[in-house]
Amino acid sequence: MGPVHHDLAGGPTFEPMIQIDMEIKTFVSAWRHCDYVSTYMARMVSQNRSDSVRHSNLFSSAFNELLEIAFRTRHADGELACRVSRHGATDRIELKFPCVPEERQFYEEAVSQVAGFEASERYLNSVSGDLAPSREVALLELAVDYNATLRVEEADGGAIKLVVDLPLEGLQH
Amino acid sequence: MSPYDLLPRFKAQYDANNQEFSISGVVRPQGIDELGPSIALLRDAIGRVRGVLYVNVRRLTQMNNAAFHAFSRIIIDACRARPELKFVVITSSVVGWTSRKFGRLSGIEPNITIEEYDSQFYPGQGFLEEGRFVPILRTQTKMTWRHERAILPRHGMRAGMVMADICCGIGDFAVLVQKEFQPSRIVALDHSISSLDYARRVMREFDIRGIEYTYGDASEMLLDEAQFDLVTCRHSLQIFNRPELILKELYRICKPGGRVYITNEKNSHCLGEPRAESIRWTYNEVAKLFGHFEMDVELGPKSRRYLIEAGFEDIRVETFMVTNLDGDPQDFADVIAAWADVYAGEMATRRGDGPEFVARFRQGFQDHIFAALHPKGYAGWPIWVASGRRPQ
Ligand SMILES: C[S@@+](CC[C@H](N)C(=O)[O-])C[C@H]1O[C@@H](n2cnc3c(N)ncnc32)[C@H](O)[C@@H]1O
Repeated sequence: MGPVHHDLAGGPTFEPMIQIDMEIKTFVSAWRHCDYVSTYMARMVSQNRSDSVRHSNLFSSAFNELLEIAFRTRHADGELACRVSRHGATDRIELKFPCVPEERQFYEEAVSQVAGFEASERYLNSVSGDLAPSREVALLELAVDYNATLRVEEADGGAIKLVVDLPLEGLQH
Repeated sequence: MSPYDLLPRFKAQYDANNQEFSISGVVRPQGIDELGPSIALLRDAIGRVRGVLYVNVRRLTQMNNAAFHAFSRIIIDACRARPELKFVVITSSVVGWTSRKFGRLSGIEPNITIEEYDSQFYPGQGFLEEGRFVPILRTQTKMTWRHERAILPRHGMRAGMVMADICCGIGDFAVLVQKEFQPSRIVALDHSISSLDYARRVMREFDIRGIEYTYGDASEMLLDEAQFDLVTCRHSLQIFNRPELILKELYRICKPGGRVYITNEKNSHCLGEPRAESIRWTYNEVAKLFGHFEMDVELGPKSRRYLIEAGFEDIRVETFMVTNLDGDPQDFADVIAAWADVYAGEMATRRGDGPEFVARFRQGFQDHIFAALHPKGYAGWPIWVASGRRPQ
């Protein structure tokens, strides 16, 4: 592995790999876009992984859940920006999309629960419970099944940015 | 909407004989109403079975949380309503997320268990996936390459194309193709983790680029349809008890207009002089021995039929003979010695062959080596090459 660079905040530097931006209006016009975008980006970023085919399958699986969350935003204007960057075995997905203040609060709470101790217990409860799956469950599952770490960042212009680190390269065998 | 949107991307089936519900493909619905018929099928299956319901998700490549919850809900409810009923979810070791995701269900209901379907794909797997075959494969590929490098262009090999080598073993063929023909991309798949580790090590050490090794099952690959200009599968159809299933997959991943290229043996046609009789006897026995383990090492001349039946057109077949005269006769002798080791060793023992048979069986290999190294001798190993084009 090459030298590790650190950014000003002291964290490791993630090298940008690919970015896709589109009007949220266009994005939400067809459900299939989640599948297209996740499949396409997964293929692109997996090419130089040790098992590109399986990495791409896992990546698409995780990324699609995030896109499906963004799809359900109640905001009709603005942009969806997806960016993937890499540091070693970890891929970072940054997903920025417009969002109303209540939604933002929801994401902040959801993400803090994902980080909590009982994430896997919460996840099991939600699978076995009677309620329909919520967006929170999808985020929990990323942490539980893909060892993802998640955080929410403020973005300008009434948008929210979900930052998800996926250590998929380490997850296979 | 593109025509792609209209294709059903997943399939659910219930097989009453085996009490098996299976769902395959990409299941990413927006709402669970899109799953209506599949959900109804699962409910109906649960209503009919006694004892165990198998839920086969081996060929499930994607499933979003909405769908996962809809299906697991039904299974969990059934466990609660009918405590005598058991569920066995069959996942694949190839699709990384399925075992994890479905595995959670057994933590919720003890009547749900997860089985990772693996290893026993075909009866001879144990002999072939272990590291012992590595030296044989290396030398074999070195010998066949002398012929194949001239043959491949007649079967569609071109620079810049996208190709796949399925059942790639330790990757030597992919590396040789990469150097000689410079395809733009090679995906090389095998189900042996040790062979792939070896292949990746070679790639790193020799700084080879453009080959993507992937762990997979040739009978149900994660690779998308219609991706490759050329799909090769060498010396491998002959080791599966149902080669037509593999061929179907090779067809699926090949682009319309692209070609599938296969090589296979007819072991009983290995030959040598002097001592032709003993050699012939032994290789006839080799064919029977493999037959015992449901592998058909006589497949070579049947390639044409297999390709036609799989739907290919413009089928081309040719044969070549690897001999002791192609380079160093010692290489030829080494390969035979390695065959003798496995065939007259572990395989014969496994079949329960007695010492008398084994001695005679070994003798034929020794005679083949003798012929190969004899100053006036001749020893041969014939290979059948066949390819077909996927119709447009
Ligand atoms: C006889 S070797 C041929 C290897 C290589 N093509 C060559 O010519 O050297 C058969 C190969 O098939 C692989 N194999 C067996 N079962 C498989 C499966 N279900 N999916 C993918 N590969 C498999 C084995 O691991 C082995 O590497």
